[in-house]
Amino acid sequence: MTGSPTPFSKIGPPSRFKQAIRHFGGAAFCGIGLFLLLVVYFYEQPLALSSFGISSLANASLALVLVAAGQTCVLLGGGLDLSIGAIVSLVNCFAATLMGDSILSVALVVLGSLLLGMLAGAVNGLLIAYGRLEPLISTFCTLFVYGGLALTIRPQPGGHVSDDFATLLTGNLGVLPYAAIVLAAMLLLVWMPIFRSRLGRFIVAVGDNSDSAYASGLPVRPVRLATYVISGLFAAVAALFLTAETTSGDASIGASYTLNSLAAAVLGGVALTGGRGSVVGAILGGIVLSLILNLLSVLGVPAFWQDLIEGCLLVLVLAAAGVQRLRIDDWTKLLGKGRS
Amino acid sequence: MSDAAHPIKMPTRLKDRLTRRPGSNLSWVILAVVFALSVAINPAFLTWGTIRLQLVQAALIGIVAIGETLAILIGHIDLSIPWTITLSGILSADVYAAHPSAWVPFAVVIAVGVSVGLVNAFGIYLLRVHSLIWTLSVNLILQGLTLVYTNATASAPSVPPVARTLALDNWGGFPVASLVWAACAVAVILALRALPFGRHVYAVGSNELAALMSGVPTGRTYVVVYVISGLCAAFVGLMISGYASQAYLGMGDSYLLPPVAAVVIGGTRLSGGSGGYAGTISGSLSVILLQAMLVSLNISEGLRQIIFGVILLGLVFLFTRQRK
Repeated sequence: MTGSPTPFSKIGPPSRFKQAIRHFGGAAFCGIGLFLLLVVYFYEQPLALSSFGISSLANASLALVLVAAGQTCVLLGGGLDLSIGAIVSLVNCFAATLMGDSILSVALVVLGSLLLGMLAGAVNGLLIAYGRLEPLISTFCTLFVYGGLALTIRPQPGGHVSDDFATLLTGNLGVLPYAAIVLAAMLLLVWMPIFRSRLGRFIVAVGDNSDSAYASGLPVRPVRLATYVISGLFAAVAALFLTAETTSGDASIGASYTLNSLAAAVLGGVALTGGRGSVVGAILGGIVLSLILNLLSVLGVPAFWQDLIEGCLLVLVLAAAGVQRLRIDDWTKLLGKGRS
Repeated sequence: MSDAAHPIKMPTRLKDRLTRRPGSNLSWVILAVVFALSVAINPAFLTWGTIRLQLVQAALIGIVAIGETLAILIGHIDLSIPWTITLSGILSADVYAAHPSAWVPFAVVIAVGVSVGLVNAFGIYLLRVHSLIWTLSVNLILQGLTLVYTNATASAPSVPPVARTLALDNWGGFPVASLVWAACAVAVILALRALPFGRHVYAVGSNELAALMSGVPTGRTYVVVYVISGLCAAFVGLMISGYASQAYLGMGDSYLLPPVAAVVIGGTRLSGGSGGYAGTISGSLSVILLQAMLVSLNISEGLRQIIFGVILLGLVFLFTRQRK
């Protein structure tokens, strides 16, 4: 930056460093937090360093990480999904109820589960993009529809899950847990192709400012729809993983994932107002959050403290994001339409 | 979260009629239809005993819906109600057992309600977190607090007698709960129509920036609205503990969606600034009748959730679609 100091030099786009901070600040913050947490965790629980310990840690956090990634996709597109936890419950009940033992039936149920998740996401997307409903309100309503469907499929927890399916998803290959492979596959085969393509840039553009995206000729509605379908897919994979982990179906299993996925995304620097953030941040946020909850049980904190601590963490994260927004944004804009 | 611009469409006649003055007539039409349906399904709905039962339950929803109506009128929502109810019910029973004095339950109700309301207003007004997310998080914290306080065991000592009086007794042939509801309803309707507070609520709900610019104390309005909402929920917690003759964990669980449904059926717009409490009265009655009808048809809990979700979705679709 040795150019002549013109009066305009301050108005231009922010420097690369600032852009990087804006993009990866949350992720970096989470990375540091994760490192500290891991140090504490391994100090308290040296056994966790074994391959079994690592895979159990990975298994405990994968579902939240996947749901947080799905939530991030919707958030990047300027929406929000309150029904994502109910989609997890729905797919979990569906899979655990119908899964047989033969390879064919397992494969069919997995395929059906993925389609079911995408369908549930698509319904959300249609209501919001084409029905012109507000994302929060309509997903609040579908939360009850999907939750009710899950409860209708499976009024009591139970069901049958094939052993092969369970070990296939929750086992480990040496020190490398299968959960990590699932996550890597989802990122490499789903997230990267989408977000390196035009669609990904469209999603971010729509999330940043849907009016100017429309004015620039972007297909705003299909893009919105796509974000919800993708998030439904991530929720379905998370639900399949949970099914393998718990080997049963439970209509209330996903309830905590809605708020926790939001917390994970916000913790990882994803803006609730849309258009800003990275999936790396959300993943790290998800790992940090589930590690904290895991650490609580390692430290011997009674289970009924969990809700309180989860809630306090959530409120702290939301408050921190709120304070940050107050500092950055113009207060007249805050009072305008773009509340989040 | 406005959608992209689309050409303006003139509303068709029927839709115009349906949505022009939502709440004033439509909610009573819905109530009449639901009532006729429930009588057709089960004639017992015509007897005074059943109607009395429905009135008491509608009073519980209706009082909670006072706060919900106000919150929705300023363009927000309050989803911290379920565990406010539970916490206040359990706490008032516990504190009363330790200090048996007639005013103790009310002191607990006020303490719980005001503190929940202040926390809600803090996050929504000062930190500008969306109310749906913030109040859901506060609900989670309250759930945690209640579980920690009770050690997650559902044992509550005897309920204060005033709670039973409020929920079970009759006064001049009418259930006390309904009379309390009626008194609260009159107060709220008058406050919304005649007091400056009412004008402030509508002003904040229609355009907060314009309201602030024209000197409306927006912060105070938020605080008052959420404190009232917390108080209503805490008070209903006391009443429910009397109604069930015990305070138990999860006693508020079924109060997440129904109050919102009551407000929306009553024609208050979820986007804020339009509607009122009169519609919510019929909305609460409709919700309770619908629930009773579905129960009498032996419809499972899951299916009931689906039906309520779809009804709410339909009403939202009819009333609060984004303009552009």
